[in-house]
Amino acid sequence: MSIAEEGPVSGQRGLQLSKGGIAAIVVLAVAVICRSFGAQFEWLVAWPAALTVPMTDWVGTVVGGFLDVFKPIARLFSYLLAFPMTWVGGLLGGAPWPLVLGTVTALGWLIGGARMAALAFFGFGFVVISGYWLEGMNTLALVAVSVPLAALLGAGIGILAFEYPKLKGSVNVVLDVMQTMPTFAYLTPLLVLFGFGPVVGLIASAIFAAPPMARNVLLGLERVEPEIREAAVMAGGTRRQQLFLVELPAASQQIMIGFNQCLMAALSMVIIAAVIGGFEDIGWEVLLTMRKALFGPAFLAGSVIVVFAVVIDRMSAALAEPRPAQDKRVAATIFAIGAAVAVWAAVAEWNPAGFAAMDGVAEAVDQGVGQFTASYGTNLDALKNSAMFYGLLPLRIGLSDAVLPFTWGFAWTATHTFVFYAVFAAISGLMVLRGHVAGAGFVMIAAMVLEIGVAQLPWPILIGGVAALGWVASGRKLALQVTLLLGLILISGLWERALLSLYLSGAAVAACALVGGFLGFWSAMSPRAWLVIRPICDTLQTIPLFVFLIPVLMFFQIGEFSAFLAICMYAVVPMVRYTRHGLITTPDEMIEAATASGAGRWQTMLEVRAPYAAPTILLGLNQTILYAFAMLVIAALIGTTGLGQSIYLALGQADVGLGVTAGAAMAILALVADRLVQGFAEERRQALGL
Amino acid sequence: MTEQKTTAPAIEVEDLWQVFGENAQTALRDARGAGTDASTAQALKDKGLIPAVRAANFEVKSGELFVIMGLSGSGKSTLIRCISRLIEPTAGSVRIDGEDILQADEKRLIELRRHKLGMVFQHFGLFPHMTVADNVGFPLKMQGMGKAERRARALEVLDLVDLKGREDTYPRNLSGGQRQRVGIARSLAVNPDIWFLDEPFSALDPLIRRQLQDEFLNIQATLKKSIVFITHDIQEALKLADRIAIMKDGEVVQIGTPEEIVLHPVNDYVAEFSKDVPKGRHGCVENVMTQDIPENMPDDPGLKVGMTIETALAKCMSLYEPVPVHDAQGALVGAVNPSDLAAALQAEET
Repeated sequence: MSIAEEGPVSGQRGLQLSKGGIAAIVVLAVAVICRSFGAQFEWLVAWPAALTVPMTDWVGTVVGGFLDVFKPIARLFSYLLAFPMTWVGGLLGGAPWPLVLGTVTALGWLIGGARMAALAFFGFGFVVISGYWLEGMNTLALVAVSVPLAALLGAGIGILAFEYPKLKGSVNVVLDVMQTMPTFAYLTPLLVLFGFGPVVGLIASAIFAAPPMARNVLLGLERVEPEIREAAVMAGGTRRQQLFLVELPAASQQIMIGFNQCLMAALSMVIIAAVIGGFEDIGWEVLLTMRKALFGPAFLAGSVIVVFAVVIDRMSAALAEPRPAQDKRVAATIFAIGAAVAVWAAVAEWNPAGFAAMDGVAEAVDQGVGQFTASYGTNLDALKNSAMFYGLLPLRIGLSDAVLPFTWGFAWTATHTFVFYAVFAAISGLMVLRGHVAGAGFVMIAAMVLEIGVAQLPWPILIGGVAALGWVASGRKLALQVTLLLGLILISGLWERALLSLYLSGAAVAACALVGGFLGFWSAMSPRAWLVIRPICDTLQTIPLFVFLIPVLMFFQIGEFSAFLAICMYAVVPMVRYTRHGLITTPDEMIEAATASGAGRWQTMLEVRAPYAAPTILLGLNQTILYAFAMLVIAALIGTTGLGQSIYLALGQADVGLGVTAGAAMAILALVADRLVQGFAEERRQALGL
Repeated sequence: MTEQKTTAPAIEVEDLWQVFGENAQTALRDARGAGTDASTAQALKDKGLIPAVRAANFEVKSGELFVIMGLSGSGKSTLIRCISRLIEPTAGSVRIDGEDILQADEKRLIELRRHKLGMVFQHFGLFPHMTVADNVGFPLKMQGMGKAERRARALEVLDLVDLKGREDTYPRNLSGGQRQRVGIARSLAVNPDIWFLDEPFSALDPLIRRQLQDEFLNIQATLKKSIVFITHDIQEALKLADRIAIMKDGEVVQIGTPEEIVLHPVNDYVAEFSKDVPKGRHGCVENVMTQDIPENMPDDPGLKVGMTIETALAKCMSLYEPVPVHDAQGALVGAVNPSDLAAALQAEET
């Protein structure tokens, strides 16, 4: 009954404060104090330098020393790993393309019949004529070596966590860190540890790709039906027999889903790893052409990556689904044809490295983009500038600093500040009168953030605000956790950069929440809209992070706005999917009850579907936040400030201390956001009795 | 017998079909060329379509409690959803108070649901994010009624279902029986004329079920709604119904009063249902009464028209000669041989 007592206090006289109301008032008080006395007491705004700890140096020393110890082992490992890499690289790179094409098409046939065979044939056929065959095969070789590594590592972790439930908690934390730690961040220590070379990318991608495998193995094992388990026990199997002969096969479908995610993560990481210096792989090609502003080739190379991603994704996803067995003779025939053409090609010395038949296309793209930007350049600039001046910049440095005569047409004065706060005070006053104390406090705090700017936000407001959110979402424990975590960033001296990262990802997440929420809602209302939106979502989700930079660069050059767009494109998908999913999975009986009560379409949507979908939508928001942070670091390549930039710089200078600390700060931000949103989602779920 | 009102029927269902599958409408039109309903259904099945309701025809009189009874998969839930138009019937007509609701547009339908129709669901269909009072007030909110008024009306109906004082709890804090009381209260909030109940008590424990059945009868005794009630429990049907429609494989096989169903089943399927039913409780004296009155009847234990066989038998346990039966006014209308009464009771055990 306790939950019922905490419920809304509608219909009661007098002001009874909810948890949210108390939190909002406290944070608002802190904010007002900081705003009013910030000028006199500087420590209220910026953390005093005297109290800053040289965290990067410490981390650098400790991690550096640690790395020195393990360096010999790592170098040995690196040396050993170079063998399979050279073999596979030699095999794929040396094999004539007709043979590879035939093999992949035959594989496609075995997995999914004519459709998959066609996908494989045309996909790899495109790579053949793109002129990037060799680079493509080098990338595939990296994936081919790193995926077994990642899959074994992940499966091992998953089984371990399942067999020893005591380990589960800590394993989950490790997996969280592995996934939230920005990819660039662990490239730096790996670089120091393993030395320059493709092995670093390999190991980084194994680390990055292992968690999804581990999670899915664990999930699959946990979902094996108890009766199946018991049957294995009663059949007299040893624990090892139970596990390998019954439980793992029973969980195979979930494990294959993990394998699919593992593959995609490895591919994405292998391409990103090109930033440490490439060796003729496709990621390097993209990076190189992008740096030279050769958009045509960048586009073409990017397309090769997308094609690889789509073929690998669809084929491995098909493995996870129940499917009819295909005729092996057809596969054998396809393979034989490929081999025959290969032999003939070898004899005739016919172009073993594919054709560069698409150069014309690359040029056309280049020209097209050139023409487009030439003729619509002013419009594009106008779009970019208005987004910057009226959206991003005020959010970053606050209305009081961003409103300038040459952009807004007037200067922000004390009068403006007064009127601004008076209007918002009136709004929230009205809300208090109607009983929405928490909402009123929230509006007021939002107004202050807008006036001050995220990047200049006094630290007590942010830490206090986040702690308050933690307290409302889950309780004292979470509030304490997030305060400690953020405190670490504060005293490390990375605070200002963290605020910059927070601002950009915050802006992107807000945009994604609005746009994605709307698209999800629209897809839920109209199946026809979903028919269009769904394939776009599928494609966006398959494309490796890196590729998102190409189109935004083409049209908006380097800068914060381009980064913002790239982040939005990547991070919007989960919001769309989860919103739609949440809205359409309301139990039938609730919908019928609403309909029988005389609710119209919109009423059902707003009164029944939306509240019921809230926890799912929150999970979507959570995913969007994590995606945004992941992309933020990649976007450092095209011009963002903040932690992402620090991580990227550290990579260039092999500065382990800065790289790891900034990476950890980034992971902390992501982790805090994750815990907060999860907390709210859990609270909503409980409120719904789910 | 049940009171028969002379007013127009509240619900008239005429030749109603519900076929599931692709292009059901055209398929049904084509298949109806086949002649009888049975052959139409077979033709549809052959095409891979599912005729869930086949040519249903019945009326529900104003103030009547009409029970549709059938096993799971017999199409009864589909039928009630057709009548309330939660799903679109494939063919036929449903008239509520003379208005063909299958022709009603979305707006009119919402209008009807907001004022005239109420529905109770098997698994309650309560909104987990709303309090009991908000759940009950939901149909009123849809009408645009103000907050205070809604709450007042919600408390009123909650009182009716004996849930006073629980208005600010959430559904998750209630037992199954209490939840269904909320469902009943919600369906009554707009004071509907027509009341649909889709297996309202099936998800409840037997004891709670009986308690709610009794309360339901009490509520109906005061409110006198026109009711369509779905159940798979013959005991429940016999206890509540004015008339019962028995469904099998989408087809209404028999419609009749509880006595008719128990004593004169049209086929083995219906008979199978009533096999375990103590017929003495549902059959009446007139079911075994003969018009042909013997001249001399020495005993008169006071049998009357409308008396159940069980009661009648108890009154003439020790008699062997035919005894007279009088109507309510005391006039002699027939005679009953006590051995026939006993025989009627015996029948159930075979």
